[in-house]
Amino acid sequence: MTSSDAPSAGAAPAGAPPAIRLDRLSKNYGGSYAVHDLSLDIAPGEFFSLLGPSGCGKTTSLRMIGGFTEPTAGTILLSGEDVTALPPDKRNVNTVFQSYALFDHLSVADNVAFGLKRKGVGRAEIRERVGVMLERVQLGGLGDRKPGTLSGGQRQRVALARALVNRPQVLLLDEPLAALDLKLRRRMQVELKQIQREVGITFVFVTHDQDEALTMSDRVAVMNEGRVEQCGTPEDVYEHPTSRFVASFMGTSNLVPGTYRDGQVVLDCGPALPVGDRGGVADGSSVSLSIRPEKIWLSDFEPGMALVRGVVRETVYSGPTTTYLIELAPGVTVSVLEQNTDRSRMEDRWSGGESVEIGWRPEHCLVLE
Amino acid sequence: MTLRTPHRRHRRGTDRRPRVALTVTAVFFLLLYLPIAVVVLFSFNGQKSLTVFKGFSLRWYSAFFHDNVLIESLGMSLRVSLVAMAGSVVLGVALALGLVRCRTRLGSLAGLIMLVPLITPEIVTGVAAMLLFKGMDITLSSGTVMLAEITFSISYVTVILRSRIAALNPEVEEAAMDLGATRWQALRLVTLPALLPSILASAVLVFALVFDDFVLAYFTTGVDPQPLSVRIYSAIRFGVQPTINAVGTLMLAGSVGLIGLALAIPRLFGRRGGLDLLSGK
Repeated sequence: MTSSDAPSAGAAPAGAPPAIRLDRLSKNYGGSYAVHDLSLDIAPGEFFSLLGPSGCGKTTSLRMIGGFTEPTAGTILLSGEDVTALPPDKRNVNTVFQSYALFDHLSVADNVAFGLKRKGVGRAEIRERVGVMLERVQLGGLGDRKPGTLSGGQRQRVALARALVNRPQVLLLDEPLAALDLKLRRRMQVELKQIQREVGITFVFVTHDQDEALTMSDRVAVMNEGRVEQCGTPEDVYEHPTSRFVASFMGTSNLVPGTYRDGQVVLDCGPALPVGDRGGVADGSSVSLSIRPEKIWLSDFEPGMALVRGVVRETVYSGPTTTYLIELAPGVTVSVLEQNTDRSRMEDRWSGGESVEIGWRPEHCLVLE
Repeated sequence: MTLRTPHRRHRRGTDRRPRVALTVTAVFFLLLYLPIAVVVLFSFNGQKSLTVFKGFSLRWYSAFFHDNVLIESLGMSLRVSLVAMAGSVVLGVALALGLVRCRTRLGSLAGLIMLVPLITPEIVTGVAAMLLFKGMDITLSSGTVMLAEITFSISYVTVILRSRIAALNPEVEEAAMDLGATRWQALRLVTLPALLPSILASAVLVFALVFDDFVLAYFTTGVDPQPLSVRIYSAIRFGVQPTINAVGTLMLAGSVGLIGLALAIPRLFGRRGGLDLLSGK
C-alpha cells in the first residue's frame, strides 16, 4: 500500500498515527474468505472509499471497523489504539447504515440526540448540539416530526446527523446514497463532501458506484473477492489501473487481446500497434491492451498515434456524447466515446457498416498482463 | 356499439350473484349466532322462563351483581387473566426473541415444540397439568390455574411476536449499539418500543382467551373461589338460572370489546400487522 505517500488531500502529518489502520484483517465465513488479508492505512480527515462489486468484502470490512462483525484474524487500530476486541458501543466510530436504520418511534430530534444521551451529555448541551446539527443537514424545523413522515433524502440526512452529532473519530457510511434517485444522489454527493470538509472527520465510504467514489473520495480502494486490487487517488485508479479487474470496473474500458513485443502489441486480430516501452512486461507475453473509450480519436490524427481500421457496427446517441461500437476483427469490438461539441445533427456522422480509422496516443493505453 | 352488447352479457354471466354460496353463508351465520342471540335476548327477560319472553327487564343483571359467589368468581377470573397475561407476555416475547435470533438446529426444534400447545386438545393439557400438580403434591388453587394458563398462552404470544421480530430491520438495533447503547439498552430503547403494538395486541388476546377458558381452569382450579367459567358450569348442573344468561351476555360483550381492541391497537399506532393471525393478512 502506498497510502503514506499518496498525494491525498488529507494526508497524515508525519508521526501522527493513521485514523484507521487495518493490519492483515481477514473474515472467514464457513471456509470462504469474505475479506482476505486486508491491510490499509487511512489518514485523519481523509475521505476514503471502499469500492467494489457486491460480495467483494467492502461491507464486511466496514462492519469489522464498526464492531458488528468479528474478524477471524488481524487487528484494527483507531488512532493507534487496538479496538479489535471492543463492542460497537465502546468504539469512537459512528455508522450511517444503508437502510438508515432510524428509530421510527422517536422524533427526528430524539433520533439525533440518542447517542449524546447514551454518553450522558447534559440536557442543554444536547438540545444545542442537536439543533446545530439539524441546521447543518438542512433539517431545521423538522425536529418534532417522526422519521416515517419524511422523504428518502430527508431520512438520509437524519441518519447522517444522528451519527455526526457525536463527533466521532471516524464516520462509516455503508452505501448511504444507494436508495436515492439519481438527481438527489448527485446533490447529496456534493453535500456530503462539503459536510465532510467542514467537520474534518475521517469518512470511510462504501459504494459499488464508481462515479460516486471518483467524485467524492480523496483515495479509493478497489476491492475484489475480499482483497484490495488497487488503492490510490481517484485519478490513479482511473487513469492507471494496475489490473484487468480495476480497468474494467472503473468505467468502461476496451480490453483487446494481443502479444507484447519490442514496444508494440501485436493484436490477435492482426495489426501491430506501438505502445511505447513497457518495462516489466516480458517480450512475447500475452497481454490485454486497455484503452478508455474517451481516449480514442476518430479524426484529426496526430503523428505517432496508433492507428487501426474497423467497421462501425452501432451508433448510440446519448445527448452530450455519442458512442460508436467499432469492430476491429470478428469478435473484437471497441467502444469509442465522442463529445458532440461541434454537432447539432448526426446525419454527417458515420452509420453502421462504414469502414473507419481510429487512433490513440500510445501513452493513453495500458498493457495489462 | 355493436361490441358493447355481447360484452355486457358476458360480464353479467360471470358477475351473477352466487345464490348457493349466499344461502350457505346465511345458514352458517344463523346456526353460529342464533344460540348466542337467544342467550342475549333472554338475559333481558322479565320472567324466569327460558322459553317465553315477556317484557324487558334488567332484573337478572341486578341478581348477578348481588350474587356474592358469582362476583367473587368474576374477581378471580380477572386476577387469573391479568397474571396469565403478564406472565405469558414476558415469557412469550423472550421466547420469540430467542427463537428468531438463535438460528441453530436446537433453535428451530424449539420453534416447532413451541407450537405443540396450540394443537394439543385442551382436555389433554388440562388433565396433564392436573396430574402433574397432584403428582408433585401441589394443592390445586388459583395459583395452579395461573401457572397452567401462562404455560398454555405463551405459544400465542410467541407466534404473534415471532413474525414481527423477524420483520424488524437488524440494522436498527446495530444503530443503537453504534450510538453507544449496550445490547440490553438497545433491546429496551429500540426493539421493544418497535414491538409495542404487537405486544399489546397479544396481551389483550391472551387476556380474552384466559378469561373465557373453561377446560384448563376446570382441571386445575381449587375449591374456592373458582374462576367464573367453572362457577357457571357448576351452577347449570343444578338447573339453569336466567342469571347465567346475564353473565354470558356480559362475558360476550367483554370478549368482543377486547378482540376489537386487539385489532385496533396496531391501527392506533399507525402501523399494520399487529395481529396477523386474527386479521388474516
